[in-house]
Amino acid sequence: MKAIPVVVLAGVLSVGMLVATPNTAVAQREAARAGDTTLAPLHEPPGGPYRKVSGLVPLPDFVPGLGTLYVDPATLPAGPFLAYDHQGNLVSSIYMIPLKDMNAHKAFSGLKVAQERVNHVDIMFNAGHPGVAEPHYHVILWYVSPQRAAQLVK
Amino acid sequence: MIASSRREFVKAGGLALAGFGLAPLFMKRFSNPGAPEVIEMRSDTMGAHVWFDPIGLYVEPGTTARWIVRDNVHTTTAYHPRNDKHALRIPEGAVPWDSGYLVKPGEYFDVRLDVPGVYDYYCTPHEGAGMVGRIVVGDSRGPGAQPFDYWVDKPGTDGWRRVPDAARTAFPSIKRILSERRVHPPARDR
Repeated sequence: MKAIPVVVLAGVLSVGMLVATPNTAVAQREAARAGDTTLAPLHEPPGGPYRKVSGLVPLPDFVPGLGTLYVDPATLPAGPFLAYDHQGNLVSSIYMIPLKDMNAHKAFSGLKVAQERVNHVDIMFNAGHPGVAEPHYHVILWYVSPQRAAQLVK
Repeated sequence: MIASSRREFVKAGGLALAGFGLAPLFMKRFSNPGAPEVIEMRSDTMGAHVWFDPIGLYVEPGTTARWIVRDNVHTTTAYHPRNDKHALRIPEGAVPWDSGYLVKPGEYFDVRLDVPGVYDYYCTPHEGAGMVGRIVVGDSRGPGAQPFDYWVDKPGTDGWRRVPDAARTAFPSIKRILSERRVHPPARDR
């Protein structure tokens, strides 16, 4: 039986490590998050107190421009609302702040976060929708690029 | 259009007259067998701007108005105390309507408008943002032709809700509707 050259063996191991490392990193990240109940789950459904918004109010399952939304009803109207893409990956956390509360100088403090790396933030006016049926602002913490966010239109 | 998405309400006014035995004469005189007048319920992608199109419409009595959702989630709801204590702004003899939420694009709601006068209506989640519309049926009579606060201090109006400022400025004038017949919202809202 021929001995496998050390160089070949090292090469195979290196490639194997390169392939395995990302999954290991994700697994480690997931494991680290698993014990912290204050963090938003990275995959749909988030579970815990979160409920699918379309089951609470008459909205589509997938809201164009945002994704599939979940919220802990106790945190309404501010949220966070957790948004997932069609593959069930967390793409953003959304805080919904009514204009009347802004005008009344109301404070919203201690809001939960996902503790993911935020890619960018959008602060966008919304005319209202079931659940927050009044003019308000969406403060959107995106965890994906603007290009991926733009793919959530449908 | 799937059958389950179709909701109809074809009685505004006609039922009120039926009790007096006048409906057959009224409906014969004004019946309109043509296609319904379509009013689209629109929005931009992110829900920042919402509107009815046309926002103002003139029709003959007996016409059916059809509100159809193109984007976002909307209602068509008559200004009437039965609808969450909103001020009366449809003819007193007309039956108020409320479509409830129309969620899927293509869903629609029909109302037959038999009683002449001005009909003001709004979208429940978007009234505060000024998503309202006005239909003039035959001529410009009734509460909808009155100033927005005509009812203040009148008996029987306790708890009525005033029309929000954003809605007040959004309504097209009756004069313009009578002149143009179909009034589209400003370009900035489309």
